Amino acid sequence: MIAEEPRLDAAQVTDLAHALETELARLIVGQRELVRDTVISLIAGGHLLLEGVPGLGKTVLVRSLGQALTLSFARIQFTPDLMPADIVGTNVIREEKGRREFQYQAGPLFANLVLADEINRATPKTQSALLEAMQERTVTVGTETRTLPRPFFVLATQNPIELEGTYPLPEAQLDRFFFKALVPFPSEEELLEIARRTTGNALPQLKPVADAETILSAQQVAREVPIAEHVLAYAGKLIAATHPDRTEVDNVKRYVRFGASPRGLQTLVLAGKVRALLDGRFNVAFEDLVAVAHPALRHRIFLQFEAEADDIKADQLIDEIVEKTDKAKAAG
Amino acid sequence: MSSLEAVVRELRWSAARSSAVRYLLHALLFGFGWVFVVVVASRLVPIEQVWRIAAYGVPVAFLAVAVVWAAARPRPLRLMRTADLRLGLKERLSTAWERRLAAGPLDAALRHDALEHAARVKLSAAYPFGMRRGEALLAAALAVAAIGLVLLPNPMDQVLAQRRADHSAQAHAAGTIAAAQKKLAAASSPAPVDPQVQKILQDTQAKVAAAPDPRAALQNITPAEQQLLQLSDPQTPARVSSAQNLANSLASTTSGSAASQAINSSPAKGAQAVRALASQTQSLSPLQKAELAKALAQAAQQSQDPAMAASLHQASSALAAGDAAMAAAALNQVASQLDSLQQQENNDQEIAAAINGLEAARQQLAAQADRDAGNASASASPGSASGSGSAQGSGNGNGNGSGNGNGNGNSGNGNSGSGNGGSGSGGSGGGGSGGTGGQGNSGSGAGQGSGAQSTERVYVPAPASSGQPDTEPPPLGPGQDVPLTPYSQVIQAYQQAALDAADQSLIPGSEQDLIRAYFSSLGEPRAGQ
Repeated sequence: MIAEEPRLDAAQVTDLAHALETELARLIVGQRELVRDTVISLIAGGHLLLEGVPGLGKTVLVRSLGQALTLSFARIQFTPDLMPADIVGTNVIREEKGRREFQYQAGPLFANLVLADEINRATPKTQSALLEAMQERTVTVGTETRTLPRPFFVLATQNPIELEGTYPLPEAQLDRFFFKALVPFPSEEELLEIARRTTGNALPQLKPVADAETILSAQQVAREVPIAEHVLAYAGKLIAATHPDRTEVDNVKRYVRFGASPRGLQTLVLAGKVRALLDGRFNVAFEDLVAVAHPALRHRIFLQFEAEADDIKADQLIDEIVEKTDKAKAAG
Repeated sequence: MSSLEAVVRELRWSAARSSAVRYLLHALLFGFGWVFVVVVASRLVPIEQVWRIAAYGVPVAFLAVAVVWAAARPRPLRLMRTADLRLGLKERLSTAWERRLAAGPLDAALRHDALEHAARVKLSAAYPFGMRRGEALLAAALAVAAIGLVLLPNPMDQVLAQRRADHSAQAHAAGTIAAAQKKLAAASSPAPVDPQVQKILQDTQAKVAAAPDPRAALQNITPAEQQLLQLSDPQTPARVSSAQNLANSLASTTSGSAASQAINSSPAKGAQAVRALASQTQSLSPLQKAELAKALAQAAQQSQDPAMAASLHQASSALAAGDAAMAAAALNQVASQLDSLQQQENNDQEIAAAINGLEAARQQLAAQADRDAGNASASASPGSASGSGSAQGSGNGNGNGSGNGNGNGNSGNGNSGSGNGGSGSGGSGGGGSGGTGGQGNSGSGAGQGSGAQSTERVYVPAPASSGQPDTEPPPLGPGQDVPLTPYSQVIQAYQQAALDAADQSLIPGSEQDLIRAYFSSLGEPRAGQ
């Protein structure tokens, strides 16, 4: 089979990613890691779960992304009374030329960029409707299945505090997210810069750097990046090390209930490929896997109650796993 | 960098140089370790040729390490992976090498990128020269320890020296037996028992040489001597006595004086002379016949050999009856019996010579066994003392006797003493007395010689043959004159000599007790008297 010639070459993808990061940086102060994770998720074709306290710029990030990419953008504020039909659309009765008939009214999911704000406040039923769309990239209303536009990129946010009246995402649904990015509180210097940029009359306007076709082409190029066998083996070892019955890390055995799924491995490798491209390389390196390990795995490692009691976070375990998984051994 | 193959070549060369240094250190470590182990082992157990073993191990260690070094050369993919990790090339080389034949959209760019980055770094830095400090220190420590142990005195050297002395003594003893065997084989007129004697000596030589130590070798000597003694004819002394009596009787006759001298010279010459006398009986005067008949009758009466007595009696009767032919025939029978006696004496001479060889070997082995026992007791219990003595005496029928003795003693503090004594005395009967053995702290030696007819004889303790009581003294040859000494005067000296000899460590304690009990039982009736 002859591979289809991508519209972009690797260098163009690198340039595109850098341009996107540069544009976003005009509005987003600091948060370089968050921006990079967002770009990686976008080019990898995965969805992003953002977790952070209110007011840290999650919504601004998504909106800015929409501006920089000239993609359709929709924001859905999730609330407990939000129904699936509210997001996937519904059939409504319309009267036309004296005839009444059902006509499909598309929901906000029919956009390239969807911001699912405070996703954990919606009921599981609504969450499921969104997560099905994320996975299948289609929605089914009535008996008709409709394909969502491409690219389809969901950025969901959730608040780690004020958990009363929320519906935490179940493990299976968390696994659908490509990355889970933490939105840290900005530094003092960044706070001042945020104040300078957002309290004046002129807000910076972002320049579009790519359209939908370009993004799809970049996604295709990203998948072409080769990965050596021993690097792939290292990714496998990292995933295996998250499982309490396969790991040699004592804390994983003690605190982890379930380790990362095979989808975690796919995420690790694919994100590594994108990161390699962003780094101007044509191969995946160990450092790529290490760099994306936290956003790719932190929502795929399910901790025991004992971890919560001991204030052990998934990121700590990932650090320990990375530290104790020998690259040279994987290199044979 | 022109190609990935060129990168691999350079990495391979760098890896070979780097690993050669490491493996050289391994080889040094193994070599020094081997020498150390051998040196330590040589201080725990006696090891012959320890330096040769240690020296052989070093090149073997180097060879083994070289083989492992050659077999453990990394493959190209491993070289690339290592270079990626050590040079920070972010897996460019290994991925490019894996996909060197692939034709994917990014593979060409990947290879170009890998070569470009490889050209920017010094590839040999991926395999730097270096050695593990711990390993180097361990090798140095082993070398120093081995040298130190070599310089310190090794207690096993004494054991090895003793073992070598044992082997040398056994070889020397075997050589002595072989020399005796060779000497007998070279004799111009071999005795009839020569093949059997040769076989016994050969077997004994092999057993002595193959014995694990001199003590075990000694155990083969006595059985061999007993076998040799069994080859001798017990009737020989009686025949010798009869021949001597015949010579004495004929000496007083005019016709038989020549025959008398010939018999005294040797039985073979005597046989010729008796045949000559038989041929002359026709021409003898009646007076000479009567004189000869009387002498023969006297000889027949004194003869202890029934066959010879019968022949002599027949000859005497025939001469007295004037039957010269019958007398000649009887004298010819006597001549044949003298010929037979000559053969028996030849046998005895060969057996005696063989026993002499065995005795010489016994002396050598016993001396070495005594030294071994002395060394062992000195090392095992300082302060104790042991001694040993041995003696040998010999005499011949011509009236000359000689004796010699030697003794070894060992004091508990490691000092040893040895001495040799020799004396000779001549008598008409050929009695000789041996020298006194050297004295250690408690060693003593005694020697005694007994004369035998013109042949050196050695007393060898042997079980009494059937029909011969224990108390019967050994038969004496013609001309022997052994002074008689009352039993009560010699038994004490015998007892002392036997107990001294029993003190030798070669004799087990139970056997020593048996000897003491024997003399004690002898002493009881004496005390009763």
